[in-house]
Amino acid sequence: MTSNSEIRSRLPVWQSRDIAPLASLGLLVLFFSFATSSFTKPATLMQILSQGSVLAVVAAGLTFVLLCAEIDLAVGMLALWTACFCGWLFECPFAAGPGGENVAPIWAIAVTLAVPLASVCALGMLSGLLTVWSALPSFIITLAMMNIADGMSRYLTKSVKFEVPKLLETIGNHGIELTDRLMLPYSAIVAAVIMLLGHLVLAHTRFGRYVYMTGGNRQAARLAGVRCHAVVVGCLTISAATAGVGGLMNAGRLNSVSLDQNADLLLSAVACVVLGGTSLFGGVGGMGKTLIGVLTFSVLKVGLNQIDWIDDYARPLLMGAVLMVALVFNGLLGKEKP
Amino acid sequence: MVAEQSHSPASSSISDSGAAALLECRDVRLRFGGTVALDGVNFQLEPGEIHGIVGSNGAGKSSLMKILAGAHTHYTGQLLLDGSPIRISSPQDSLRLGISMVYQELSGVNALSVAENLFLGRQPVGWGGRIAWGEMYRLATRYLRELDIDVDVRRPLGQFPLVVRQSVEIARGIHRGARIVILDEPTSSLSPPECARLFQLIRRLKESGVAIVFISHFIEDVLSLCDQVTILRDGRRVETASTSQLDKHEVIHTMLGHALSDTEVGYETGLQLPQRTSDPPVLRLENASRRRVFQEVHLEVAPGECLGIYGYAGAGHQELAHAIANAVPLHSGKVWIEDKMLRGGNVSAAIRAGVVLVAADRAESLVHDTEIYKNVTLAHLRRCMPRWLRAAPEIRLSEPLLRQVGCGPAAPRLLAGQLSGGNQQKVVLAKWLLGPVKVLVLEEPTRGMDVRAKEEVMALVGDLKKKGTAIILASTEPELVMAHADRILVMSRGKMAHEFQDTFVTKADLMKHC
Repeated sequence: MTSNSEIRSRLPVWQSRDIAPLASLGLLVLFFSFATSSFTKPATLMQILSQGSVLAVVAAGLTFVLLCAEIDLAVGMLALWTACFCGWLFECPFAAGPGGENVAPIWAIAVTLAVPLASVCALGMLSGLLTVWSALPSFIITLAMMNIADGMSRYLTKSVKFEVPKLLETIGNHGIELTDRLMLPYSAIVAAVIMLLGHLVLAHTRFGRYVYMTGGNRQAARLAGVRCHAVVVGCLTISAATAGVGGLMNAGRLNSVSLDQNADLLLSAVACVVLGGTSLFGGVGGMGKTLIGVLTFSVLKVGLNQIDWIDDYARPLLMGAVLMVALVFNGLLGKEKP
Repeated sequence: MVAEQSHSPASSSISDSGAAALLECRDVRLRFGGTVALDGVNFQLEPGEIHGIVGSNGAGKSSLMKILAGAHTHYTGQLLLDGSPIRISSPQDSLRLGISMVYQELSGVNALSVAENLFLGRQPVGWGGRIAWGEMYRLATRYLRELDIDVDVRRPLGQFPLVVRQSVEIARGIHRGARIVILDEPTSSLSPPECARLFQLIRRLKESGVAIVFISHFIEDVLSLCDQVTILRDGRRVETASTSQLDKHEVIHTMLGHALSDTEVGYETGLQLPQRTSDPPVLRLENASRRRVFQEVHLEVAPGECLGIYGYAGAGHQELAHAIANAVPLHSGKVWIEDKMLRGGNVSAAIRAGVVLVAADRAESLVHDTEIYKNVTLAHLRRCMPRWLRAAPEIRLSEPLLRQVGCGPAAPRLLAGQLSGGNQQKVVLAKWLLGPVKVLVLEEPTRGMDVRAKEEVMALVGDLKKKGTAIILASTEPELVMAHADRILVMSRGKMAHEFQDTFVTKADLMKHC
């Protein structure tokens, strides 16, 4: 037994639970390549990148929360709140100008972006503080926060549709032209930067290590002197911040903000993180896994839309069914052998 | 000397009266891998008898009782109930045969009412399958009254003191038709009046013909309550005798393996504690109390000194260890490190001050799903590692430590959960060897380890002590405390019972004060 584990310890640790998500992604790509004629075209890649980028940003923050064995149910509504607040500020006289002609100075644009982001960070931190202070599960606290953020958005916008700064529209819909048919969307670059940052923090900083250890065994982390409460507050703040960024990007992609946005963002983001192989119970996972999860989810969504013989009303059902198969597949392969 | 160790079945097949005993165990053996837990035990229980079982840790008391409760099913040997052979292969079997086990950690549901607990899984139902609440409360009150337990059965079980919860659990067993009730260490966390109340209940049960097996470390309790006592040692029955023929001294001697004639002082296990060091203490505990756990504890420990804290399970010394390392707050009292006071419950402050806890429960000290090296460096990242963490330097730092503590395999990339228990404990120690530790608080550091691992772990602790670390060693194993402590504090039911220093001490001395 000893020699066996000694050998294992020298090898890079590739376990089935690491490979399963990659395998499902590969299978899906393979399937759609054969099932549709349009899937292999560059336009599909662009579509996946621009649709997936909002999800990637939100899922990146959520990864922190799941790794420390908490959950943030408020991400969708926090995204909505940030976008609504931004749109509302953008119509205020300081940004819109007296005539409302929308040639806002740069400082005004900065304010319309920074203030909503600051507010969403504050809301996330509040969720975190209340979670550790009340010793209730974050599930409950963030459920309430979800309602608060939703309510604030409704109260502020009164169901009116707002415009958003041109900068967001550019990020959401334009990009760097690589060839005349292939464009790298700015939103994908933003998502890549955020995910890379998240990866570096998780893998190479003390805070990242503490996130894993707090999620893996909170008591052990506490007895080793880790301030687990601060870690939880930090993770919920990070997830709120990325949700805010995601909300702004989504509003930019649609070039406006209204109350019907981001309704399914929460569940999609959780599905992405779990699909990648990050444990819902903390301590196991990472940003690379989340990236694979987001790609799988986006490929599935875009691919299903391209199969034109599917009844439009059947698509959500099919999406759910394939998602469930993939989750179970990954879960079974990742199961520890006794 | 120890003549009754023989495991010939002839010595105890039929009770003296010639009638079959209520329960009889013949030549029961139980092994866990290479370790022998029971080595041919014979045991007889008569109806209406209170039978005490005593023995030191690892003597086989719990193993024997867990066989009867259906928790260990891979035993060999014969069990007879009313003279006919039985095989217990699950807890359900055990219940059906009329054996009810009350564990030290109770199994009631604290959020449910007393009545619901009493009828758990077999509530009286009325029309259409509804639970007949009125009927249930009435019956519950009556059953408990019959046992002289007078409580409001509508209130949640968790609101009542431990003795009531124990009584309800006993009553539940009786109500299900138990003829044999096994109590595992029922008095270790009870106050004297609560003990008296429990004993009253036990005597009532005896009058109604129920046989009771009473497992306890408290020899005095056993002698005052029981009719018969069986003494186990090293998985064997050493003696069964009527309690009227025994005194505490004899029982302890027999438990430890000395014949009754051998009453002179000087066991091979006795030893002289060294003179107390005159160095100023590095850690002081003043008048420390934690509700319902320990009261008014004063202690201090100097650099390079090992203070042993000995007590039976539930005596409060294990919680005390946690409190010293600031892992649980005190309700009153103070912890001083040199001249700095520690704020309760703030572990990171204690660690920065150099006070470190190695908890008994390894589930509390290691992150199993994570590589060993990350476990080793966890508490030292700030001090030993640059801001930018990379695997290679961490592995370089932890690998020699793993070798030093003799962790096999010394493979830092392995997940901590893949190691055996003894090796996990070595990783826990390695984790603390990395830092400057002023006070190392050990709670049952060798629990569940084999002899070799035990020695290796304690040798490491000895090295630290030589280098000037103060050690606090809280344990329920007298051998461990005596082998390593310079001074020994004995705790009993949350109070400091005695402190041994600069004197000759034996195991029996320690146990006498518990």
